[in-house]
Amino acid sequence: MQSVRNSILRHMRLRGSVEQWFYTERGNMLRQRLMCLSTGANHDQIMDRVVGLVKKYDKIDSSKVTETADFQKDLSLDSLDRVELVMAIEEEFSIEIPDEEADKLTCCADVAKFIASGARSKTAES
Amino acid sequence: MSGVSTAAYVARRAAQKERVRILYRRALKDTLNWAVHRHLFYQDASDLREKFDANKHVEDIDTIDRMIAEGEATHNKWRHPDPYIVPWAPGGSKFTRNPTPPAGIEIVYDYGREDND
Repeated sequence: MQSVRNSILRHMRLRGSVEQWFYTERGNMLRQRLMCLSTGANHDQIMDRVVGLVKKYDKIDSSKVTETADFQKDLSLDSLDRVELVMAIEEEFSIEIPDEEADKLTCCADVAKFIASGARSKTAES
Repeated sequence: MSGVSTAAYVARRAAQKERVRILYRRALKDTLNWAVHRHLFYQDASDLREKFDANKHVEDIDTIDRMIAEGEATHNKWRHPDPYIVPWAPGGSKFTRNPTPPAGIEIVYDYGREDND
């Protein structure tokens, strides 16, 4: 009887430790995911990525790019160039920008604000 | 009278610009959908841009309308049957995959283990 009890208890303990390991693993994963989300929503980092992307666009003089430089007036893009730029931004951040929103994005700060608002609603969802 | 017609002209031009912008946006996205590889897309995209730029300086307002209608018809004809959709957007493969739990519900991660340790 004692031996049966011991073996069962050992089994239980084993299962407990496995569970514990599993839970800590999962906790770490969750924490990592949260960290990843919070850095993704960081406004400065989004802004850096947007500015870097705009600087790489070949029709723009990269020295003129600032956070508030208007694409059409200051960077001398036409409307079709802006469409191309918005598509590049969509691919970079893998988001979908509706047609009517795409027209309102006139400078890097606008774009970063739009992306941050999208990221926040996504974080709230998941 | 001429003021009214000028305003109507400006409004019509603005509507045309909007239509061209949206047509170019959809056509560019569709070009990416049709392209099997990225390097094929670059050539197709610059061809598309040349087609739009060729009629950049057309002034006659009715001609522009006709051209836009033609462009939209061509785009409708060649639209991709299975376009790429961003996974999180409506219609994407991850859309509403992990919905938010209702408000007021909290997750107990050590459920059932409270008295075991």
